[in-house]
Amino acid sequence: MNKENAIEIRNMSKQFKRVFDKPTTLKERLIFWSREKPEWHQVLKCINLDIRKGDTVALIGTNGSGKSTLLKLMTKILYANTGTIEVSGKLASLLELGAGFHPDFTGRENIYFNASIFGLTKAEIDNRVDEIIEFSELGSFIDNPVRTYSSGMYMRLAFSVAINVDAEILLIDEILSVGDQHFQDKCYAKLKELRDSEKTIVIVSHSLDMVQKICKRAIWIYKGEVKKDGNPKEVIEEYLEQVVLDHENVNQNKEFTKQECILTIESPLKGQKFHGVSSLEVIGWEVSNVMDTVVQVCLANQSIVEATRYKRADVLMHYQEACGGASYNRQAGWKCELNTTGLTGNQLIKVQVVDARYDVVLSEDEINITID
Amino acid sequence: MKLLTDLYNYRELLKTNVKKEIRGKYKGSILGVLWSFFNPLLSVAVYAIVFPYIMHNENPNYLEFLVVGIIPWTFFTTTLSQGITSISANAGIIKKVYFPREVLPISVALSGFINFFISCIIILAFCIYGGLGVSWHILFVPIIALVQLFLSLGLILGLSAINIYVKDTEYIIPFIINLLFYGTPILFPASIFSEQKLITTLMNINPLTHIINAYRDVFMEHQIPELANMMYVIILSAVIFIIGLTIFRKLEKGFAEEV
Repeated sequence: MNKENAIEIRNMSKQFKRVFDKPTTLKERLIFWSREKPEWHQVLKCINLDIRKGDTVALIGTNGSGKSTLLKLMTKILYANTGTIEVSGKLASLLELGAGFHPDFTGRENIYFNASIFGLTKAEIDNRVDEIIEFSELGSFIDNPVRTYSSGMYMRLAFSVAINVDAEILLIDEILSVGDQHFQDKCYAKLKELRDSEKTIVIVSHSLDMVQKICKRAIWIYKGEVKKDGNPKEVIEEYLEQVVLDHENVNQNKEFTKQECILTIESPLKGQKFHGVSSLEVIGWEVSNVMDTVVQVCLANQSIVEATRYKRADVLMHYQEACGGASYNRQAGWKCELNTTGLTGNQLIKVQVVDARYDVVLSEDEINITID
Repeated sequence: MKLLTDLYNYRELLKTNVKKEIRGKYKGSILGVLWSFFNPLLSVAVYAIVFPYIMHNENPNYLEFLVVGIIPWTFFTTTLSQGITSISANAGIIKKVYFPREVLPISVALSGFINFFISCIIILAFCIYGGLGVSWHILFVPIIALVQLFLSLGLILGLSAINIYVKDTEYIIPFIINLLFYGTPILFPASIFSEQKLITTLMNINPLTHIINAYRDVFMEHQIPELANMMYVIILSAVIFIIGLTIFRKLEKGFAEEV
């Protein structure tokens, strides 16, 4: 194992036995005693990965792509069928909050239970207990039984214990959306602090925005294989493109009764003034649940210009986060050049998004500009 | 060796788990932990009332005889019945966190061990009240209890692991425990079967016979337990412990998937 690596994975594959919960009669069991061959579901195929010490790495991918399984393999909850996983350094996995909480014991006692599961000794917990209580903001509730807590308080306590476990390698699975905005900000700050220390962090997250802000490296797992590995921005861009592509295949023949469309004109701004320009660039973006859209731009009731489309990963990312779904069009951005020769004074720019197949206007917007 | 280093590294987990086993079990009830002492006392009461009518016995210290039999027996059965489900009952944390899985059955056994020592006060109280008195021989109690601990630990390590794959284990075991109850001289002395060769042989194979007899030797008879019998039990317990641990080690990798 290379000394610089915290985690080394070599040719690792994992498969799960598929369980069918169909009842079998005793007669069937006795007759077909060993004839039933189990079906296997390949979750991860021949993974090779090196995670260096001090790195902050994100695993991204759609549900069921095998990210969480990979984390569980790293922490030795699951074991690989073939290949090896080597880990150097103390490892803590925050796969679930509040593991080992006992409802009848107080918050303080549960800090000890929960932290001991992560392999901390009493002295180590004693050192941290005040910090944990402070982080959780539970105040005097800490000495009440956990069963009297609200779900928010429960999660806050659990997260505070987890994040204060002083391991060299931290594996975090989609648990950062705990509590209110204030607490989330705090968690986020803590995570940044951990990143800037010597720790190795592996995060599984669907919050691509956070991945981009925190991680130095992203690994995209697609159908059990590492599809792309590298700079978060590039990996996310390609990942989102694939998401839209997969969506396209699924929704090829699906009709929507209600078409939705969000249209934004980014430039020029409303009421912006221009001096003696002969052409004007109009830029914006559009996302909708329609497969083929055309953006038409029209200045001062002149002839309509069709905008050219281009990729906008940032738009797709935010759309996915805000609306919880993928857009249907990979090229969210649009831009076009308008000829403004001979035009002066107040002018109106009209933008329309049209469904190319049915010629229906999905959304429209307009802005005023002034040309001197 | 790996077991010892694992247990040392996770000693706090072991400690809190034992605490949880002892205190958490009866938490919420009015009598709390006291229940773990009332339980054997109540069963002593039942047998002490009912049995003299069924069976004729001349033992003047029958009550003490019962207490010394039932309290170690309770240690054995509670450890076994809780130990077997110790893995499946903790499915939630097994799926989510790594820790040495042995901690779960071991903490069940240890909590039974500690409970037993506290219950020894009851035995001593009965011995003194019944006029039997106490002698230095009670120094053997920790040794006998330790042998019993390893015996039950070996059993629950193996059985709790098997129970994850074959769910039926936890339903068969109570039946076997029930059978064993009558195959161990708890309610009656082994001597009443001295004429039936087969039963005597079977009882002699049963390690619990010798363990209970050893407790009676030191608490009631004030004598050193029979050495040959003790050696048999010690060797058998060691073998069972090693087999149990080996089974556990073989099966533990699949716990998170199967549980």
